[in-house]
Amino acid sequence: MAQTHPSICFYFQVHQPYRLRDIRITDIGKGDQLSYFDHEKNRSVFRKVAGKCYLPANSLMLELLNRHPGFSIAYSLSGVFLDQCREYGEDVLDSFRALAATGRVEFLAETYYHSLSSIRDTQEFCEQVSLHVHTIEDLFGQTPTVFRNTELIFSNELAQVARLMGFTGILAEGTDHLLQGRSPNMPFEPPRFRLPREKESVIAKNRPLAKRSDKIAILLKNYRLSDDVAFRFSDKSWVGFPLKAETFTDWLTAGGGHSINLFMDYETFGEHQWEDTGIFEFLRSLPRMWEGRGIRTSTPSQVIAEWADRSKEVYDAHNVISWADTERDLSAWQGNQIQAAAFRAIYDLGPLVKATGNKELLNTWRKLQTSDHFYYMCTKYWNDGDVHKYFSPYDSPYEAYRRYSHALCDLKSRVEPKVKTKKNHRPTSKS
Amino acid sequence: MPLHTLMFGWEYPPRHLGGLGVACQGLVRGLLHHNIKVTLVLPFPGTDEEVDIRFPTRDVIETIRIKSFLNPYDSPELYAQRIQHIPRETSQIYGEDLGHAVYVYTETAVEMTKDLNPDVIHCHDWMTYEAGVRAAQYHERPLVTHIHATELDRTHFSPNEWIYGRERWGFEQADHIIAVSNYTKNILVQHYGISPDKISVVHNGSDEAHAIHVMGDTVPAVTKKNPMVLFLGRLALQKGPKQFLKMAAMVHAHRPDVQFVMAGDGHMFSDLVDESCKLGLQDCMIFAGKVSAPEARKLYAQADCFVMPSLSEPFGLVALEAIAQNTPVILSKQSGASEVIGHAFKVDFWDTEMMADCVLTVLREQPLAMQLMSEAPRVLQKLTWINQADHVHSIYKNIIRS
Repeated sequence: MAQTHPSICFYFQVHQPYRLRDIRITDIGKGDQLSYFDHEKNRSVFRKVAGKCYLPANSLMLELLNRHPGFSIAYSLSGVFLDQCREYGEDVLDSFRALAATGRVEFLAETYYHSLSSIRDTQEFCEQVSLHVHTIEDLFGQTPTVFRNTELIFSNELAQVARLMGFTGILAEGTDHLLQGRSPNMPFEPPRFRLPREKESVIAKNRPLAKRSDKIAILLKNYRLSDDVAFRFSDKSWVGFPLKAETFTDWLTAGGGHSINLFMDYETFGEHQWEDTGIFEFLRSLPRMWEGRGIRTSTPSQVIAEWADRSKEVYDAHNVISWADTERDLSAWQGNQIQAAAFRAIYDLGPLVKATGNKELLNTWRKLQTSDHFYYMCTKYWNDGDVHKYFSPYDSPYEAYRRYSHALCDLKSRVEPKVKTKKNHRPTSKS
Repeated sequence: MPLHTLMFGWEYPPRHLGGLGVACQGLVRGLLHHNIKVTLVLPFPGTDEEVDIRFPTRDVIETIRIKSFLNPYDSPELYAQRIQHIPRETSQIYGEDLGHAVYVYTETAVEMTKDLNPDVIHCHDWMTYEAGVRAAQYHERPLVTHIHATELDRTHFSPNEWIYGRERWGFEQADHIIAVSNYTKNILVQHYGISPDKISVVHNGSDEAHAIHVMGDTVPAVTKKNPMVLFLGRLALQKGPKQFLKMAAMVHAHRPDVQFVMAGDGHMFSDLVDESCKLGLQDCMIFAGKVSAPEARKLYAQADCFVMPSLSEPFGLVALEAIAQNTPVILSKQSGASEVIGHAFKVDFWDTEMMADCVLTVLREQPLAMQLMSEAPRVLQKLTWINQADHVHSIYKNIIRS
């Protein structure tokens, strides 16, 4: 059944990290009372974004879903975002529940802690994804079948891991060097290969879904069209400015293919692009325009189901890719010595933390895995003296590291005595 | 015809007394590189044979030494103290008090440069401003006043009103002002009422060669010496030596193995020694006194961390010198250097607790120290005196044209 137009697949990322407070060396080792997180700051950022983005954008989405029966969208809500909803904004959580109740909103799976665990620790990765899947089930009454990794970090191996976890689809960045002239608007598949047996057995034991999937489809972000909205919408120096729904729809249909995957941060609406740029009106006018032209919207799992058993081209990501920066690699989190040291240190602490069996310590350790902590330590664009290109709650990447390393030192001081008292349970550090 | 600048500046190393002489030397060398002819007028407290002589030191430069006891960091009180030690007949030649000394210098400097034919006049800090203004009037040429440190920096905003007035007058008379940082530019705008349009910022350069360590050099030895934290600067209010002591006391409480070195001299020396004993730092604090440039480089290289806690620092060349020796730096936010050095901790000078915390973090976290050491010196490639003199050259061309 040939389609005249590709369908539009919207997915929005919703995430908030737990930012660290100004921990001092003199606070370290004082026992279990020390909180590492800046609750005031986290609350105020959450409420600010709730007011500018989450609440008005959700209300608009609900309006559009009610008005246009063919309209559908997808979200990925990080676990730490959901935790912050419970702490700072039940109203925001309720508005997502209202969207879920329409039956046309799909929730994707990710690591609960928006972490980089996929590149370091398969067991931990599986545990975090399971935790997230079960949370989504509890909150929204649906089981995710499509996985999206933190910051669209992706590789061939990860695609296989996700398949063994039971997912039928995974999202990735459609980078030019891997597409090699092919359109990102078709579902792809990873090259087929077996993972090491040990890894397969770790996944089998910690799988979030009932059974492994035979196949997994890769949906690629159409970064040009996504970024037209997410980054360029209000850029007055851009040739496309001001972007009208009609023009944008012309661009969407021009490329053809099966589905145009528009993946972006939800903060695009109202936070990155402020309300006065007209971003909400732009969004409001799209479904009507699409309805008139016979363009459908689909969620990721629908896109995959519609493609069914038709053959897919191979998307071969031998090296790890992501949607970050122009490099589209891991350098935003792994690009310098302090990031590497922090990353090594947090995961080295894992066996000790788990050996304590203490849930609160485990939760704290995992909150420290959130990718944002490493992103704030990035010095790629830290041109000498020029601080303005950088977005961070801290003064500098070095301040980010100072706080983080203090938190780690304290966590270590809390974990070690607890492990020592547990006899016959001496974990050795990971090789 | 090369452009000719008549510059009222300050003595070069090794005779220099602080950053001002180093900056003048760097700027002149940079200007020479751009084929600008420089006539440099210097106050000089030397013997009769050495002064009042005009001599070319290179093809395009001529130095005029003016017999004077002026020191750019003087206050009227400090000048009075110093002049006491000079025989009375000589002190009358130099000037009996600071005001008189500036007057004598100005008269001589203007007189000695009358037969020149400069295109632009350029003077450095307030003591030379009147000479600059009068030379500019005499030659009917534009005037650039360069500001390296204001009276407000030196006195922590409790200025001698007469000096403050001389500075403001110099800024007002200038056709254009060069400030060594945005920090200083803001002081001129906010506290001297000068229009920002008239001020250009040219950060100081550095001709410090970046000391490249041979492989293995930066790897800590198995038996590591005690970590060392360094202060280097005049022991004067402006440089924040008391803040350094407070910080040291906090670091010491946490890590008694840390050694502190304060290099430099100044009128606060004995106070600081007393204070450090009161804080219980007698066994870990070394007062190294005034150090030569090679000694300074050695200290920077030995230090595990360099702290510049200045209360108000227009630039702070020592910070560039430290990073050139691959030393992690912690800088006062109230400084010009913090505008150009990205890879450093930046702390408000009064927040000595935070300063101590940053020092302890740098000492504890080897990867952090390594990264600061490897990243910070990159700025030195950009911030050369040749590049900075090129900015000054453009400013000359603009004001000559207008």
